[in-house]
Amino acid sequence: MMKASGFPYVVPMLLLSVAFFATPLAVLVGFSFSGSAGFTLEHYGRFFGDAFNFRVLVNTARLGLETVVGTTLLGVPIALLYWHSGRTARQVIIFLTLIPMLTSNVVRTFAWIVILGRQGPISEALMALGLTGSPISLMFTEFGLLMAMCQIDLPLIILPLIAILSRTPVQFSEAAQISGAGPWRIFVTVLLPLMLPGMLAGWILVFASTSSSFVTQAVIGGARNVYVPQLIYREVGTLFDWPLASAIAVVLLISTGCLLVAMTMISRHKRLVGHA
Amino acid sequence: MKNFNITRRHFGMLAAGAAAVAALPFSARAAGGTAVAATFPGNWEDGYRKALTPILQQEGYGLTIAPAMAQDQLAKVMASPGNPPYDTLLMSPGQMATAIENDLIQKIDPSRLKNWGMLAPAFQGEYGPTVTIEVNGIAYNPDMVPKPKGYRDLFENPAYKGKVSWTGFASNTAVMAYSQIARIFGSGPTDMDAVFKLFRDNPEHLKGVVDSTNHQMTLFQQGEIAVFMCSTGNVARLKSLGMKAEFVQPETGSPAAPVNIHLTKGAKNLDAAYAYMDAAISKAAQDMLKMPPTEMFPTNKDVALTPSIEAYVTRDQLANMVYPDWAAINKNRADWIRKFDALVAG
Repeated sequence: MMKASGFPYVVPMLLLSVAFFATPLAVLVGFSFSGSAGFTLEHYGRFFGDAFNFRVLVNTARLGLETVVGTTLLGVPIALLYWHSGRTARQVIIFLTLIPMLTSNVVRTFAWIVILGRQGPISEALMALGLTGSPISLMFTEFGLLMAMCQIDLPLIILPLIAILSRTPVQFSEAAQISGAGPWRIFVTVLLPLMLPGMLAGWILVFASTSSSFVTQAVIGGARNVYVPQLIYREVGTLFDWPLASAIAVVLLISTGCLLVAMTMISRHKRLVGHA
Repeated sequence: MKNFNITRRHFGMLAAGAAAVAALPFSARAAGGTAVAATFPGNWEDGYRKALTPILQQEGYGLTIAPAMAQDQLAKVMASPGNPPYDTLLMSPGQMATAIENDLIQKIDPSRLKNWGMLAPAFQGEYGPTVTIEVNGIAYNPDMVPKPKGYRDLFENPAYKGKVSWTGFASNTAVMAYSQIARIFGSGPTDMDAVFKLFRDNPEHLKGVVDSTNHQMTLFQQGEIAVFMCSTGNVARLKSLGMKAEFVQPETGSPAAPVNIHLTKGAKNLDAAYAYMDAAISKAAQDMLKMPPTEMFPTNKDVALTPSIEAYVTRDQLANMVYPDWAAINKNRADWIRKFDALVAG
């Protein structure tokens, strides 16, 4: 329970939250319902009335979920490697995880242009292996964008997993091994439930980051792969239709929120965490 | 270890000190009379900062160059009515019409500009001086593709298949090119259905659609594309970076757009803003800006053209450029943007 004397220290944070989070959010929601004659649902009607917009929303959610899956598949082995490693190897893993985060997202995105391009290492490697006869470009493809997003957002899932595993003794897996469990059984019945809270934190961060990553989506995805942030930017910065932009932002907020709640519920399912 | 304690009095003093330090640069700037000028990013931003800052300093003013595309400038000024984030805007006639319609800019007082008389009457706008004419055309990499004759060539000659990049209708460069293409393949400059049909019939062109000319510059450098719609300034910049880039005027004529500096309504630093405007049309500045990598066409009569600018366009040729009907474009632009985006996304 909060002590009565501690409350004043919370007040500045509450005021800041109201001033810089709740109020702008309320303004945004208000804008989305504002019309020339007062309250209106017109902007939501316009958004959902256009099949293109709905497809963009689905594409955005799909990109977020695909990145969550991709970063999980890459992040879990790295986190487990960290868990099983000695002090020096752990420092190296932490260093390699943090260094990309210290580089601007814009720089990392532009580096991916080189990697995914016709003269990039992927194209060169595929040609060297004889898998393709001519240079190929993964620019402006959803797969190329997914690769870039997975690399950019990977630290967001590795760090929570490492935080969880750092508090977990390695003896847990040794005990399971002694009891006769194989590696997969140890992973599924012991480690996975233990890592779920970290995974959930990572999923939320990765999903939120991917679905709102305007620069990477625009540069790597190109104009053929349209996602909600580009739609909002177009309405605000090009067409100056702010009520519609606000409605799209609210729709993104609600749909993202629903998916995050769904992820939380799945991760707390008793069949998944029952062994933890 | 000794505990770190801080009293409420010390905390208050610390907060007040931090606030004072944070406010210091703003007060210092205000005292010096600093113009906050919105300028296009990239070449414009670099060129204007280098050429105009020293001139304004000599006159006792500061200059903050704020890079933003014309549409973004409009959006930001619209977002803060009565308290514009910029003292001046940099725009083409299309955006100028929108700014006038929304009461975002004001007429200027030419008597406050010493260099006003150095401009030809066509460049003396009541809403601000024309600082350059952007001449548009086609940029190509001669190592990758043959020299295009014009827009028709790009769709009909198989040598360009998969090597041409386009942008959406939000870009002035793109919308001017599409108006010309509509004239060639349709019934007139606003017949965009003909342009959309052309893209549907040539889907390989849709693969090269990206968000902006800036992205195209990056892709051109990486050899990902070989042709894009550009201004002479884009090609000058690419050449200055050592790229194999050439500019070609389309056979149907080069679309052109005057670029003007406008005074925002409610500009806070009027004196500095006028000093900045005057510096931008001065001989000293335009003599610098006509050189690589900017190579801006000078509107000051006293500034001689360089051979490389004359290779793009001469003063006599300016009258023969294609100047689009921005009123017609603005009327249809939102519809075109939405339709093209949906077409590109497939």
